[in-house]
Amino acid sequence: MAGMTTRKVVRCLPAFALALLWPGSPAADASSTTTGRAPDTGLRYWEWQGDGVLFRLTQRLPDQTRAFFLARGFDPDSADLIATRCVFQSMFKNTAEAGSVTIDLDDWRILVSGDKERALMTRETWTRQWQTRKPPQSARIAFEWSLLPTRQVYGPGDYNWGMTSYGLPPRQRFDLVFSWTRDGKVFTARLKDIECTPDLHPEPK
Amino acid sequence: MYTRPAPRTEMNRLLRLALLLLVLPAAVAGPASPPAGKQVLSEVAGTPPAPDFSLTDIDGRQHRLGDYRGRVVIVNFWATWCPPCREEMPSMQRAWERIRDEGIVMLGINLGEDEDAIFEFTAGYPVDFPLLMDRDSSVIRAWGVRGLPTTFVIDPRGRIRYRAVGGRAWDDAALLARVRALAGQ
Repeated sequence: MAGMTTRKVVRCLPAFALALLWPGSPAADASSTTTGRAPDTGLRYWEWQGDGVLFRLTQRLPDQTRAFFLARGFDPDSADLIATRCVFQSMFKNTAEAGSVTIDLDDWRILVSGDKERALMTRETWTRQWQTRKPPQSARIAFEWSLLPTRQVYGPGDYNWGMTSYGLPPRQRFDLVFSWTRDGKVFTARLKDIECTPDLHPEPK
Repeated sequence: MYTRPAPRTEMNRLLRLALLLLVLPAAVAGPASPPAGKQVLSEVAGTPPAPDFSLTDIDGRQHRLGDYRGRVVIVNFWATWCPPCREEMPSMQRAWERIRDEGIVMLGINLGEDEDAIFEFTAGYPVDFPLLMDRDSSVIRAWGVRGLPTTFVIDPRGRIRYRAVGGRAWDDAALLARVRALAGQ
């Protein structure tokens, strides 16, 4: 679990072990996973709901992401670097009537068949890239804040939309083990067989 | 608190009004609905003092938070490229139209963008409460915000009372009642 502190490893180990050994939602009382395609775009989504949270991933075409970051002031190489790192539009919401939920993306894990587990590319991961590429300040700010926060506290009804980046090539399939904490208890769930969006360039008809 | 508007400011207002009239039908149709269901504000533990700031709005006016002491202040952090920020903005305008005469202040703090980007945005999302610019993100960091939009409600003594992460329907009657209730404290 590269990148995790010893404290975090110890804290999350039982939950991750359960998630890995018991596919589905071991910590969930009544959870549901929904997958499908957005009717207007045809892009796929994966949604998990249970235990007072809702988490949804929706594919972003690499060209969507390129265009977004070019418009924010990134050069084409940097925009392409972001766009080809498997970026999803994401939403995390505390749907419970009471009590706060905390997340820490450094605790989440990407599982690729036949490969070792890996961590998400968070705001902090990307900040290291920008130290050498040096995009304009306004572009860096827009990038940082357009990603899902690495750590957040959600009160009842609170939510964030933001991009999440998995550092995988287009079309790569993976599982995501994600976790959150409520009342000191760590909950873990797994979204299976997520697909990084193909890098399609539709030609005009 | 306010400096006399410069001629450019008056021109900006006229241009914005013209743009507003041009795009009003599209703006009314709207790109998305405000969040449905109960509109919840989280109480902020310990009611810490709101970090002061002095920022310029898109008309060139300076706003210092401390100058609004004695009034309830709604502080909304947002950006033009943030979908839930755009989604909640019309409801913020409707709320502003209901509370502006009650002495309640509403400040939108844009993250990292310039006057032109915000001006263009207001053509599609007409608002007339002050839109301030946090160009280097120093204010949003001082406030401990982690995601957009995030909105705080400050009481007349300058303490942070409520926080909302993500968009809300700010013209919701029950939500506004909680904001108004702070005015007498």
